[in-house]
Amino acid sequence: MKEKLLASAQKLIPPSEKARKEFNAKIGILVDKGNKSMAARPDLDKLICAENLEMAENNNSNFARFMDSMFVAYDPSILVETVLWVFKAYRSHGFLPTYWAANLDIWLRMLEKELSDESFKAISPFYNWIVVNIPIFVKLTDECLSVEIPCGTNDR
Amino acid sequence: MGTKIKADLYQTYLASLLRGSKSECLNIVTTLLENKIEIRELYTELFQKSMYRVGELWEINEISVSREHLATAITENMLSVTYPYLFTGVKSDKTAIISCTANEYHQLGGKMVADIFELNGWDAYFLGANTPVKELLQFIDEIKPDLIGVSLAVYFNLPALKVTLEAITSHFQNLDILVGGHAFIWGGTGVLKNYPGAHYYESLAQLEADL
Repeated sequence: MKEKLLASAQKLIPPSEKARKEFNAKIGILVDKGNKSMAARPDLDKLICAENLEMAENNNSNFARFMDSMFVAYDPSILVETVLWVFKAYRSHGFLPTYWAANLDIWLRMLEKELSDESFKAISPFYNWIVVNIPIFVKLTDECLSVEIPCGTNDR
Repeated sequence: MGTKIKADLYQTYLASLLRGSKSECLNIVTTLLENKIEIRELYTELFQKSMYRVGELWEINEISVSREHLATAITENMLSVTYPYLFTGVKSDKTAIISCTANEYHQLGGKMVADIFELNGWDAYFLGANTPVKELLQFIDEIKPDLIGVSLAVYFNLPALKVTLEAITSHFQNLDILVGGHAFIWGGTGVLKNYPGAHYYESLAQLEADL
């Protein structure tokens, strides 16, 4: 499954320097708006396990900076390994897989609104790639999770 | 596992580190130093290995961020314990500046690198975490080192590394640049090809072999 992830990641085309700069200039706004959108969700406590709001907001900021790094120097292996690490670490802290579906949906809507059409077309495939592959990331990290997971439910 | 750090000793040290027992860690480190352990072995097989494990334990939610930070602070204390043993070698006339990039707050690896330079007779100026590029350039101009080392612990600081390398290479064309850090565990060193004089070092052992 990891090989499948890597193969599809290798097909992603790094955005132009112009698109990357446009994304970079908007990181602060995007993170702020994204955090507010997530905080407004009535099911947030369930998605991130109660009292993990600060961790979720840090993740959102780090995620934006990581994607910026990918756009600076794209490396498919690092994309795959890092997203796997994030799923493993944050699921271990009680984040549900549906957190990423919800958060990435917010990101895609924000990117479409904030970026030019050209930049959105260049950058959104990276986010869509993560969305499409959420089930694989979940499957690959299932075995890494400890027996005792905070807020444990059967749908993780 | 090094010859002087057996598995049970490592586990005892790790448990002491996780408990936050500075005195127990100190006892272990002091005894190892008195038994003439190689500093690099101490750094890689005890300090580095235990801190990687601490990171893994946070990842799987076995320990809190507070305990991770406590372990980092104790490890920094333990590095200081080695100082009487660091400056005993033959001094060279070489100078290095070691720094973290802007926005990089994980400084332990860079500090270890600076110590390895000291151990090998260099004068090493360790600037610590989050050094602004402008300040770094001014310091390079002031010290005129033989080499600059830049540490990157998290990959999302790569743009800051690029900015740092671009600034150094444009201002100091012939300066050797050493780049390393945990950020590169899954690769990503290809970006260094764009910067003449920049070399990636994977480990303290590789670095020491070249000094």
